[in-house]
Amino acid sequence: MSLRRVGILLGKEFRYGSKSFIFIIAIIMPLVLSLVLTLVFGNLFSEKPRLGVSDEGDSRITNLITESDSMVGREYDSPEKLRKAVEDGALDMGIVLPSDFDSLLEQGQIPEITAYVWGESLAKQRIVLRATIDNMIRDVAGQEVPVEIVTTTLGDDESIPWDDRILPIIVLMAIVFGGIMVPATSLVDEKQKRTLSALAITPASLAEIFLSKGLVGVVISTFMGVLILVLNQAFGAQPLLLVGMLALGAVMASAFGIMLGAFIKDITSLFAINKAIGILYYAPAFVYLFPDIPQWVGRIFPTYYIVQPVVEISQQGGTWSDVAPEAFILIGLILVVIGIIGALARRTAQREALA
Amino acid sequence: MSWPIIRALVAKDLTLFFRNRFFAFISVLGIVFYIGIYFFMPSSVDEALDIGLYAPVLPPIFEQVQGEGLSIELVDSVETLEEGVTEGCYLAGIALPPDIMEKLATGSKVTVDVYFAADTPQELKDAVTSLIEELAYMQSGQMLAVDISEEIIGPDMLGRQIPPRDRILPFFAIFIILTETLGLSSLISEEIESRTAQALLITPMTIKGLFLAKGITGVSLAFGQALLFMLATGGLNQQPLIILLTLLLASLLVTGIGFLLGSAGKDLMSVMAWGLPAMIILAVPAFGVMFPGTVSDWVKVIPSYYLVDTVHLSANFGLGWGDVWQNLLILLGFDIAFFGLGIIALRRKLT
Repeated sequence: MSLRRVGILLGKEFRYGSKSFIFIIAIIMPLVLSLVLTLVFGNLFSEKPRLGVSDEGDSRITNLITESDSMVGREYDSPEKLRKAVEDGALDMGIVLPSDFDSLLEQGQIPEITAYVWGESLAKQRIVLRATIDNMIRDVAGQEVPVEIVTTTLGDDESIPWDDRILPIIVLMAIVFGGIMVPATSLVDEKQKRTLSALAITPASLAEIFLSKGLVGVVISTFMGVLILVLNQAFGAQPLLLVGMLALGAVMASAFGIMLGAFIKDITSLFAINKAIGILYYAPAFVYLFPDIPQWVGRIFPTYYIVQPVVEISQQGGTWSDVAPEAFILIGLILVVIGIIGALARRTAQREALA
Repeated sequence: MSWPIIRALVAKDLTLFFRNRFFAFISVLGIVFYIGIYFFMPSSVDEALDIGLYAPVLPPIFEQVQGEGLSIELVDSVETLEEGVTEGCYLAGIALPPDIMEKLATGSKVTVDVYFAADTPQELKDAVTSLIEELAYMQSGQMLAVDISEEIIGPDMLGRQIPPRDRILPFFAIFIILTETLGLSSLISEEIESRTAQALLITPMTIKGLFLAKGITGVSLAFGQALLFMLATGGLNQQPLIILLTLLLASLLVTGIGFLLGSAGKDLMSVMAWGLPAMIILAVPAFGVMFPGTVSDWVKVIPSYYLVDTVHLSANFGLGWGDVWQNLLILLGFDIAFFGLGIIALRRKLT
């Protein structure tokens, strides 16, 4: 194997490959998905009830609602806008406060409130919001709470915020999409255009061609993994170890991409297989997303060994000793895939030589 | 326009699709995966807060609020309560003191012990705390000095909420159909790239016939897969005719878009480059169904909105022709527009 030839091929891959659709998508897609998933899961999957208020005066209740941490509180300019937000499902409930609400309460009179309730709002959200509104009103009216609540926390499991749960899927998308698709499409494209056959009659060996294409995937994949972690402020206390594990994950993804590229004949089939098995790449991330699923399920999927060390280091302050077992399994998986690539390469070499 | 030639071309395209056993197998496998995910998702909605209660003397207010979003289960000891909370049977465990009624009657402050599992989110802890305080106010006779008039906006789904898997159903249906946009456009771009489309046109096949044949192939593939998915998931249990018509109109729409993409791209990769953003844009309205309130009214300019909205309203709410006819009419309008545009673009490419 000639490193000089690998370097030349690598340069060619970056020069021409970077203009390809997949190359651009491999960079843009994780960034877009990171943004979308953070919005969708970060805010929308939260169990916080959503309460809107349209205040025709200047009630203290409005401040209590918008500043509350236990629900999503929003203020609206008019009762019409509030009603529309409830109708669209943006709010579970919306209340319209009259202009003299606080003064009526202080004078001991009974003010009227209109409450719009979204028909699809869950019963538990409705009861929680009603209790919260009532509590706020009693607070403003100066009623004394008749109970003192002493809370006790049982068990050791901590609540995992959605931000932490979505990180694995974002990291996996960043590593896996570029790592697999860039080398795979490049290899299949060369096969379809028969430039692979042309290359096969030059001094460049198939191993050098595969290596150069794989390296492109590794570089993009690692770069996107680092970028996503930086953007999500999840770089942790061990940056070198983290980059090392990202790179190892990128090697695994690229090796798999090369294996697919060597095995598949045309782009249509490549996209078809990704359409069908793509979900398996991200399966471990779904296990993180829903902690009720037994965590051992994630270990069945090879990509678990890519993402688990990253999560361990970035979110739980893990060190090498914590991630070593997963790292060694990942190395083992990479060696298996490389072995398969070797067998496929011999078959491809024979075919290209005959062609 | 010769029907035998069109029939032959459609048969050729479908045969090519299914002769590639790998491609056919993978397409079926894709649908199987979507069906699998559908059945894996929760089939019901837990609307109630599950609370465990230890109360040597049960205040009447707890019996009154039972069922209104609260599921209260009485236990016989604090130990059982703690065990239930730790095992996740209850969101919270409330232990009331034996003298609660006397204290509330005399206006003394009552101490209530509340148990939470460590992984309970703070907002739920706050919610339970607010609830207990409100119940205590009510039990002590301190009425709320406010008159609240409630108005339910939209159909009241209390007790019959749409399960997550049914909410995601329109998304899957549209995604399966949209994927075929890429399939059809790649089929067209391949014919253009390998110049077989031009070769066909020197036979008795006319341009109109070519469009019709490709259109029938595209609609059959998109409609067939979506139909299979809806049949398997029970998506046709309510208003089947409306849903079938909607899927058919949607298949026509993606076929028109497929023509446009097929004529815009030079090769398969550029078709993908145009197709993926188109797919993402067309998928946006489905997010409005999955996560209500996330998209504003501008989403109505996206043609797929009328597909998603109709499937959602018919399959999940059982709404009939009178409620969705406008959606269907607009969808038909988009079909005609995109089909026409697609044909013009493809005609210019071929001639």
